Amino acid sequence: MNQKINQIKRSPAFSGMILFFLFLIVYFGVQYLQAPESFWSIKTYRNFMSLFKSFSPLILVTMGQAFLMLMGIIDISIGMQMSFANVLAAMLPEILGLPTPVAWLIALLATILLAVLNGVIVSCLRIPPLLAGFAMIYVIKGINLLIAPKPGGKVPAIANQVFDSMLFGFIPFSLILLAVMYGIWLYLEKTPLIKAVYAIGGNERNAYATGIHTTAIKIKIYALAGFFTGLAGLCYTAAYTTGNPITGEIYGLQSISACILGGISLAGGWGNMASAVYGVGFQILVQTTVPKVFTMISKATGVNYNTYWHNLFSDIIILLGLVVTIFAIRAQRTTFISGLKKQIKGAKADE
Amino acid sequence: MLEMRNISKNFEAVQALNHAHLKVEKGEIMALLGSNGSGKSTLVKVLSGLVNPTGGEIYIDGEAVQIKSSADARKHGIAVAYQDFSLIPKMSVIDNIMLTLSPCKKNGQIDEKKSREMAEYYLNELQIDVSPDAPVELLMPSTQSMIEIAKALAMKPRILILDEATASLHADEVEIVFSVLKKLKAEGTSIIIVTHRMSEIFRICDGCTILKSGETVAEGNVNQLDLDEIVFHMTGKYPDKEIGKQETKEKNHHLQLLLDVKDMAMPPKLKNVNFQAYQGEIVGIGGLDGQGQSEFIRVILGDHNYTAGKMIYQGKEIRYKQAADAVSDEIGFISGDRGRESIFPLRSVAENLFAGNTARGKLFAYLSPKEIDSFAKSAMQKYGVVAGGLRHPANSLSGGNQQKLVVGRWIALSPKLLLLDDPTKGVDINSRREIHRILRECTERGMSIIYVSSDNEELLEIADRIYIFYEGQISALLAGDDRREEKLVAAMLGIHQKQEEKGKQDDESKN
Repeated sequence: MNQKINQIKRSPAFSGMILFFLFLIVYFGVQYLQAPESFWSIKTYRNFMSLFKSFSPLILVTMGQAFLMLMGIIDISIGMQMSFANVLAAMLPEILGLPTPVAWLIALLATILLAVLNGVIVSCLRIPPLLAGFAMIYVIKGINLLIAPKPGGKVPAIANQVFDSMLFGFIPFSLILLAVMYGIWLYLEKTPLIKAVYAIGGNERNAYATGIHTTAIKIKIYALAGFFTGLAGLCYTAAYTTGNPITGEIYGLQSISACILGGISLAGGWGNMASAVYGVGFQILVQTTVPKVFTMISKATGVNYNTYWHNLFSDIIILLGLVVTIFAIRAQRTTFISGLKKQIKGAKADE
Repeated sequence: MLEMRNISKNFEAVQALNHAHLKVEKGEIMALLGSNGSGKSTLVKVLSGLVNPTGGEIYIDGEAVQIKSSADARKHGIAVAYQDFSLIPKMSVIDNIMLTLSPCKKNGQIDEKKSREMAEYYLNELQIDVSPDAPVELLMPSTQSMIEIAKALAMKPRILILDEATASLHADEVEIVFSVLKKLKAEGTSIIIVTHRMSEIFRICDGCTILKSGETVAEGNVNQLDLDEIVFHMTGKYPDKEIGKQETKEKNHHLQLLLDVKDMAMPPKLKNVNFQAYQGEIVGIGGLDGQGQSEFIRVILGDHNYTAGKMIYQGKEIRYKQAADAVSDEIGFISGDRGRESIFPLRSVAENLFAGNTARGKLFAYLSPKEIDSFAKSAMQKYGVVAGGLRHPANSLSGGNQQKLVVGRWIALSPKLLLLDDPTKGVDINSRREIHRILRECTERGMSIIYVSSDNEELLEIADRIYIFYEGQISALLAGDDRREEKLVAAMLGIHQKQEEKGKQDDESKN
């Protein structure tokens, strides 16, 4: 038993797990305080499950980001890529009159292609990932706005209905999708590919010296992340039934902070998919709980606070979470600093 | 089995390899020798695919092969245990050994059971006593070194290269490695060993290839060579026939102790270092690469923290927290690694010269460009820096002039103690002389200089006394008549110390 606990403590996802469960308690606590009489009803469960529906795009994007971050790469344009998939899926039927399934397939493939292009820029042309991502944000934003100058597009109602549906009446479709995607990680985790990813994240030169095709692996992982991002874009399309050219931008930074919150090292080579899921879970819970607390305060005091206050406070809590994960764990502090250097100077900083 | 012909490699202006060749037969253990900067490491890197040569051919089993990447090298059955390791610190022992080698199940996942068995086989073979699941970053350096060797063995190479892999091993571990090597040799594996431990060469190697300045200067059977001959090929001089260097002119200085280092330690790089520097002298520090010299210099500067011992400077015990503290105490530091540690390549020549002043001045004091220029102009004339103009960027200068710029920067401040870490690395002979001349002038004015150099001739030329580092300790102190190259080389290889100890024991037994 003790051994089991130690094993959990040593796991890279430990800090993220603590944060997540801590805020899970806070979340339900606030729910209870808000409406003690209906807390033990089905409503609480449904409320919680609806989080999966509205946040599955962010969760999927974070999972994609996690693959890259394990390799020591961050892609801040990943949110914009999600919007790219979203815009294509919504606008292609309207512009070209394509049937929806074809349009969605094209959107998914195009996003993977875009991610591969990003991978080629970073790994073959050796542009530091932060710079490449920054430039890509504006390139993709431009493309998105050309396709859809304003939110719109044609999304069949059936897509939303399916996405909204509950299997057996209590398992949301989005949760099943997330579970399947997590299953992909569980499979890949034990393949040579992911071992190579950890090796590249741990020390790229040594990975190369061991005979790993670092460039090829990087591009493959970019493609994999592109698949997750594309799927996130489709989820967004189904959940919000519109194509929005720019809303995804913020997901880029949010996914990175979620990964770090969960315990993935910014330098790479440390962490796992559970880290990413705990991290993004924590972030979502904070974002949904804080406004509720504010409404309670408003009710009690009669003073209204606008949403900027909500954002300010939830971001401060997330910042505190980052500080805790980075500085409470000594090992992570050093890797965070070296990781930051690596992102700014390019991949060669550790040599 | 393996033959490398006419291998050349230029790193910009520096010729690391100049038509070097190397030939290894099946089942032969070949020693690759040479002093610092002779091109051994580059030759190894050419074989392992980390460096692409500018010219030459490689033949394996009589067939010409191209090695463009590490993956190519492995395809041809070449495995290397690197001196600075190729391990991934955060990964487990198993994952490190089996990286890219893991057997897969039908579904594409790694067969963890088989993988563990294979890794454990090599751990047993080398008698490494570690938990296979421990991350390698938590292991001792010598154990990491053993795992690096295990990793190379696991590739089942036809050609195994140990690039100073035994340097950090303990005696018993070396025995284990040697017995494994003998077994591999019997199985027909060709082995190349790069080492500085001469005793190892005579114990295990069959052949021996010696490089000097990127050229292969000698090849032969180890049995037909003795240590003197090897030293001759490495240095170009026979130890016995070397005539003592002429006395340096006696300086009538009243020797005053400036820096006294007592029992300093900084594991794992430095152990029990005792070191003195007197006013007005040039103290040389020699030794093979990475024996702790540069760490020692940086400890004095306060860039590294020492864990034990004392440092007394100008009669006071000091412990600097950062280099800036040392600089304000009139210590200067000149690094041989211009690009990383001293030049601001895009800033102007004048600003580069003035940089030392800036470090000492007040942060918000007003600085006029005129002041900087006039300071720089006088410094340039004094130290013979040839530059297009004061306002040109520093990287428009040649390497030698850049280095003079850095020397000028510090000497203009006339610190009491100047630390130099291989300042003439990659600097042409004229600039080197010029720098030496400037330094000598400075000592006459009472400055003390600690001069780390990887070039033996340079040390003998410039230093009054020479400390030699070997594996983090001082293996010898050469002064006066003792300053001869063969003694220096012997001490660098750690031979001196042992002979001395042996001599002492003999004396004692006689008594």
